[in-house]
Amino acid sequence: MATTASGPITAGIDGASVTSELLTREDRVQLLRYMLLMRGVEERALNLYRQGKVPGSFYDGFGQEAISAGAAFAMAAEDRLCVLHRDLAAHLVRGVAPGRVLAQYMGRTSGLTDGRDGNVHFGDRRLGCVGMVSMLPDMMPVANGMALAFKLRGERRCALTWLGDGASSRGDFHEAMNWAGVSRLPVIFVLENNQYAYSTPTELQFAVDPIARAASYGVHGETVDGNDAEAVFAAAFEARARALDGGGPTLIEAVTMRMHGHAAHDDMRYVPAELVEHWRARDPVELQERRVIELGADAQELRADVTSELDAAVDWALEQPMPDPGSAARGVFCEGAAEPLGDGMAPFSGYTREAL
Amino acid sequence: MSSSSTEQAQGTVAVEMPQMGVSVAEGTLTVWHKHVGDHVDRDEIICEVSTDKIDTDVPSPAAGSIVELLVEEEKTVPVGTALAVIAVEGGGGGEPAAAADAPAADAPAPAHAPASGNGTANGSHASFHSPVAQRLAAAHGIDLATVKGTGRGGRVRKQDVLAAAESGRASGSSAAPAAAEPSAPSAGVSEPLSRMRRAIAEHMTRSLHTAAHCTTIIEADFSRVERERAPIGCSPLPLVARAVVAALRAHPALNSTLEGDSLTRHEDVNLGIAVSLGERGLIVPVIHRAQELSAEGLAARIAELARRARADELTADDVRGGTFTITNPGGFGSIASTPIINQPQVGILDLEAVVKRPVAIVDDAGGDAIAVRPMAYLCLSWDHRALDGALAAQFLATLRGVLEGKEVGDDPIGRTAAP
Amino acid sequence: MPEMTYLQAIHDGLREELLADERVLVMGEDVGRFGGAFKVTDGLWDEFGAERVIDTPLAEAAIIGTAVGAAVVGMRPVCEMQFADFVACGFDQLVNVAGKMHYRQGLAVPITVRLPSGGGFGGGPFHSQNPEAWFMHAPGLKVVAPATAADAKGMLIGAIHDPNPVLFFEHKHLYRRVKGEVPPGREETPFRARVAREGRDLTVIAYGAMVWSALEATEDIDGASVEVIDLRSLVPLDEEAILASVAKTSKVVVIDEANATCAAGAQVAALIAERAFEDLDGPVVRVATPDAPIAFSPPLERALLPQADRIEEACRELLEY
Repeated sequence: MATTASGPITAGIDGASVTSELLTREDRVQLLRYMLLMRGVEERALNLYRQGKVPGSFYDGFGQEAISAGAAFAMAAEDRLCVLHRDLAAHLVRGVAPGRVLAQYMGRTSGLTDGRDGNVHFGDRRLGCVGMVSMLPDMMPVANGMALAFKLRGERRCALTWLGDGASSRGDFHEAMNWAGVSRLPVIFVLENNQYAYSTPTELQFAVDPIARAASYGVHGETVDGNDAEAVFAAAFEARARALDGGGPTLIEAVTMRMHGHAAHDDMRYVPAELVEHWRARDPVELQERRVIELGADAQELRADVTSELDAAVDWALEQPMPDPGSAARGVFCEGAAEPLGDGMAPFSGYTREAL
Repeated sequence: MSSSSTEQAQGTVAVEMPQMGVSVAEGTLTVWHKHVGDHVDRDEIICEVSTDKIDTDVPSPAAGSIVELLVEEEKTVPVGTALAVIAVEGGGGGEPAAAADAPAADAPAPAHAPASGNGTANGSHASFHSPVAQRLAAAHGIDLATVKGTGRGGRVRKQDVLAAAESGRASGSSAAPAAAEPSAPSAGVSEPLSRMRRAIAEHMTRSLHTAAHCTTIIEADFSRVERERAPIGCSPLPLVARAVVAALRAHPALNSTLEGDSLTRHEDVNLGIAVSLGERGLIVPVIHRAQELSAEGLAARIAELARRARADELTADDVRGGTFTITNPGGFGSIASTPIINQPQVGILDLEAVVKRPVAIVDDAGGDAIAVRPMAYLCLSWDHRALDGALAAQFLATLRGVLEGKEVGDDPIGRTAAP
Repeated sequence: MPEMTYLQAIHDGLREELLADERVLVMGEDVGRFGGAFKVTDGLWDEFGAERVIDTPLAEAAIIGTAVGAAVVGMRPVCEMQFADFVACGFDQLVNVAGKMHYRQGLAVPITVRLPSGGGFGGGPFHSQNPEAWFMHAPGLKVVAPATAADAKGMLIGAIHDPNPVLFFEHKHLYRRVKGEVPPGREETPFRARVAREGRDLTVIAYGAMVWSALEATEDIDGASVEVIDLRSLVPLDEEAILASVAKTSKVVVIDEANATCAAGAQVAALIAERAFEDLDGPVVRVATPDAPIAFSPPLERALLPQADRIEEACRELLEY
């Protein structure tokens, strides 16, 4: 396998011209497909929320699709991921069917938690994903632990988790960054800097940008255009190579903008309109779509495929039963043997070629 | 770091083995730096000690001269042991006696005052009857007003009620009218119930007061069981036990426990087997996860549990967690009984004697005939709070089917292998 | 059978598991080269190396979170909080990450967290606490607290084998003061109560160091026959054992070294009130530490923590009731 990202990788905020020679034309179409699926699933879910079929709150990752799609696409089947609430594409890349996600939003069986947790608080353990908790960034130490096990066992694998700009203020960020640096753990932290933690802008969150703090922990730091899926992919792929080669942890700051409110109940009036407009012109899905059209792919057909897949997924999810109330207190403890996480899907052609 | 000291006789102070760490209980005196008669300054090193956490010097708590060395080198002593006595210069000095050792007269009151003053607010305990006193009085038909209390303020205690019940039985006189008509006085010798009998009495009475007992009876042809048990060399019980497990798996409502309003269906079949201890009483050891055992396995476990029960070797784990019980008085020839449910289970199966009886059968030609067959009654007591009669009958029908080889796979009593 | 201290028994349990199961890791502050603040892990670093007996940064949340991560990819981490008190810094990772993982997504978290707990030696407000109840209230965590050397080893092994997060409260006061025969091998002690002494007239329910205080306090109360139950496990709580003893004696004293409000003993008292009301011949009496931090100065500390004389007095009062 390639152990370093070959070819030119530019990771600028004006990422329109970014290319990665690692990606085939089909990979690029696939990246677009996962981003379209994420956006489509979240649009359908928001409709279901407004129809009263999704209980609780509703959070989405509109405008941030490139980050979870790009980073997850760089992960091999044997890598392990802790996925956050604006990273739906990561679940889809790993192989979770959209219908199960929609059933999950609605608190139905056949979702991913059997109604035990809501919205995107899930991870399919059989696909190598650990579901997040609401306390952020609690998954950083957990990713460290997975990476520590890989390192101790001499396995060429890594762990990856996402976090937000606000989460970098909490103690777990410091504890995890410090330990990852001390033990040179094969771990990748992808910081989605979407400018706001709920209503709090980054200038009220930190005096020193987290990426500027990375080096002081002994963690490699890199900033990429978070709206460019291929730039995120390239950075994550390189970070993975670094991790596997013993080069230690990486903090990738993916700069983006949260284009919706914190949740569906938040109208985001605290965000200046011109900032939203600036980022709207840089929509990550449209960027990737322009790219694949330039490569001669039929984006219209892809969109139609995704639409029909989602139609079927919604119908299927609505047919799933609600969980049995008698089961509400069940499953608190594991009664059988502990089963560790399984392997996820790794659709990147570099890994399928490797498998062949 | 400082060593502690306590005041000895006027003008002397003891050097003690220090506590080097919260969990350290003892230390070894490794070397003395002073001898008897030597002068020491305050905080001058007097000896060295070693603990399993750390080695350390011990500084003198006072200036003076060494009167006595109490512990030899290389000797290990508990924390706080006096190591040496120092005659203090000027006859005073040292630290003041620790106030800690004075009684904690002004210490905060305990978080929760003990029982005194509880019960009734006006201190009149005689009229307050505890829940257990009331329950036992009702069970024995005793009027509590007639019982002399020995508790605080004359309160009637549990032991007072039990004593009243005992004397009522012995004399046949002071028992309440609700009790059965006393029989004519006889010349019997009365003695208190053994602990085991008291426990059985309590459990059985409580079960009768708790569960809505019903008993349903079915008759089964034991021809197949008799054939199958010969090669294993066991009584019918293990084969019946195996069939009961199969029937419970088919009707999990019977493999349940009911506590208060909470009915729990159990995945595992933890099968209680009543074992008679002769005159001593009865105990019900439990075969946990009985569904994983074949008939041979059950036979071995039953034999082992019975042996340990009779040898008083059962552990607490052996008798807890049962989800259903089998009792087997049929070994002594009885043909029908109405057993009492083992709380908090919801069913108990009574296996009666296998007796050869003429029964009507359908012969090979399809005609009615009379044949002699080994037959037995299976009596199921069940709790009407938890289930209804139809289900009890269905369970028994399934059980009969399994025993007669009519249902559930081709190895219904699981004689050859565990599932 | 070899005789060991409670501390040696814990060491022995760790060593047996490290020897037998390569998935087992020991991790914590100063547990490696130094052998631990109490020397529980002394020698393990030399025998098993720095990759299995891991000196971590001073970071309780990260220690627990890292253990969770290692566990879900197949390891069996045993982490040490240097003092049970410090688990407050790792509370979130235990309560929100480890405890809820299996319920939410069927992912088991087989970690053991060792917590040296308890007072009685001038440890003061931050080195003396018994925070068991914090975690009894959080679903998905098992909470155990052995009193004897044999249980310390057997229950630690049971904790390591358990597919769930287990908080193992080892009482510092017992480390070198309690000795007993400890079986060799890897036998688990089940998380169920133990009858420390049988009796008829009164039941004293305790766990950890208080079991020894209860035995001492009730050795001879005018010849009364006092049963002492050692709970051993707080989650799961052995309700059957408690109720069976109450049915027999009808009088109960519940001891907690922890602060009284919502302590383990409060749960026991509630259980008895709910399920054994008709067995009671007197009020359920509690002896516990008042709701104050554990003071440093010996007379203050003694006044706070339940002492044998206080337990004896409570038993005497209830016996006479």
